[in-house]
Amino acid sequence: MISALDLVAGWVQENLLLPALYAVGLMQWEDIAFGWALFAVYGAVQVALTFAVCLPLERWRPVERWPDAAAVWVDVLYTFIARVGLLPLVTFVLFYRLQTALNGALTDQGWVPPTLERLIPVLFGHPILTFVLYVVILDFAEYWRHRLSHIFTWWYSLHALHHAQRQMTFWSDDRNHLIDDMIGFAFATAIALLIGIPPLQFPLLVLVLRFLESLSHANVRLRFGWLGERLLVSPRFHRAHHGVTAAGLASVNYGAVLPWWDMIFGTADFSREFVTTGDPTAEEALATGGFFVQQWVGLRRMLRG
Amino acid sequence: MFKHIVAAFIVAVLFSANAEAGGAVLVMNSSAASLSVIDIDSQTEISRIPVLREPHHWTLTPDNRELLVGDTVANEMLFLDPVTFAVRRRLPISDPYQLGFSPDGKLLVVTALARAQVDIYEAGSYKLVKRFALKSMPSHLDFSPDSAMVFISLQGTDRLAAIDLRKMALAWDMPVGRAPAGVIWHNGKVMVANMGSDDVAIVDPRDGRVTERLKIGKGAHTLFRSPDGKQLWVNARIDSTATVLDAKTLKPIRIYKLPGGPDDLVFAPDGKIWFTLRFAHKVAVLDPISGNFTTIAVGRSPHGIYLNPLGRATK
Repeated sequence: MISALDLVAGWVQENLLLPALYAVGLMQWEDIAFGWALFAVYGAVQVALTFAVCLPLERWRPVERWPDAAAVWVDVLYTFIARVGLLPLVTFVLFYRLQTALNGALTDQGWVPPTLERLIPVLFGHPILTFVLYVVILDFAEYWRHRLSHIFTWWYSLHALHHAQRQMTFWSDDRNHLIDDMIGFAFATAIALLIGIPPLQFPLLVLVLRFLESLSHANVRLRFGWLGERLLVSPRFHRAHHGVTAAGLASVNYGAVLPWWDMIFGTADFSREFVTTGDPTAEEALATGGFFVQQWVGLRRMLRG
Repeated sequence: MFKHIVAAFIVAVLFSANAEAGGAVLVMNSSAASLSVIDIDSQTEISRIPVLREPHHWTLTPDNRELLVGDTVANEMLFLDPVTFAVRRRLPISDPYQLGFSPDGKLLVVTALARAQVDIYEAGSYKLVKRFALKSMPSHLDFSPDSAMVFISLQGTDRLAAIDLRKMALAWDMPVGRAPAGVIWHNGKVMVANMGSDDVAIVDPRDGRVTERLKIGKGAHTLFRSPDGKQLWVNARIDSTATVLDAKTLKPIRIYKLPGGPDDLVFAPDGKIWFTLRFAHKVAVLDPISGNFTTIAVGRSPHGIYLNPLGRATK
């Protein structure tokens, strides 16, 4: 499966991206474009896999049934923007020069960013184990990024877009303000400077992790059992985070893949049963507006503080 | 880098009595964090060596005793046994993309494409002698035969830079064409493959002026000299071709179509030519006489390729 997807990405690169880059005089980006092609192909498979698994689950045991699910469509758009590559492409272009300058300046000061393997030499030659450790560390960092986005008022003004959805489905995972996404990208860049991040060398594992994140937003009555819910974030666990009483600055269950950080730092709540989602304090446009309206309202809300 | 190819070839000739007994090829799988080892006789991948992130290119030390492979994203230089491909040691180096020793063996020049830097190290001790901040995307490099100059394509700015290695100063920085990539010193000139167009620019090494342009193929990317010095090979990304030029006249002799994004190549003692096909995730073994080629699957996005006729890596 991996090689088949790699071949598809290679075909996209050779037959679509390179001729396009050549035509517009941007061939210097050809190496980077291949990384994006891989991201886009694996992203498309992520979407297809999530759709194939989560949609039947949502039909089978939905938490809620809506007479009109029109508000879900904008989440579909967010998903394709985020996972099939437009957002990473734009974000990367915006940040590339900044990253280059920052990395170069740090290197000038004698800072050669290490990798986790160099910090823990026993990991050399054990790429899968290393990746698992990276997942744990990055998930820990993501817990704090997410938690901070609920603590700072200006940041939550952006993040409220994610919480405003009252018709939460597996499509809602990528429903974010673009500035919120860019902050996330900058956050990841900072971590990369500290411990490095394996890029696309484990696309299949990344695919599975992203699937779990989508599943945790699904409109499905699904529990992982007492032990399972303490090992991986379940739809029930994450739904509590999206509950109307948990919106805003004092939420619970911030974890993305692992619930451990909530358990360690006292923010875990395993008691809530498939609550109603949404943010009652958010403008209606953040819940039911179109893509551009939501982006504008989120920005205005942030600027007003 | 050329001299190392020649060195490898000479070794091959010296041991030509055993030429049929194989050797091995090492392929840098840039998006798979691994190195593929291929047995030449059976043309099969016999092992895969894990590395940290993104291995791209290689060079041999001047004494041919160590094979250096740069892992860019890991900021790490790997020192391998050039025969067994065993990793002997690792050295923190900033973003090592292309690399090469000066012909006199005194300096190692490393381009850091993602950091817009060119680092000059003392060979042997690998102490940083000088860092040049060059905008942008410093990519391929080659030296003047007297080791006085190194020429570096700046893929992001349509320019070629020349660094005076005696004065440790930038000599010039001149426009040569869109997205310049491969660089090679040839007959007193510098040739640069312009990936954003279909030409190879011929540049006067004294001042960087383009004196002539050769039409090659869309996406001209890498340049290599054949071991006998009679041919130049130019690979093109968009057209997916390898064009053979007569080294004296610079006239095209033959064009081979190689779908899959031909990138680096290496000449085998048996006359075959091994190419990495970046987007097909394979290497191609071309018989230049018949024009036929076979392919061998390797890891994702194979880039650099090294051949040792004495290579004897085991499973």
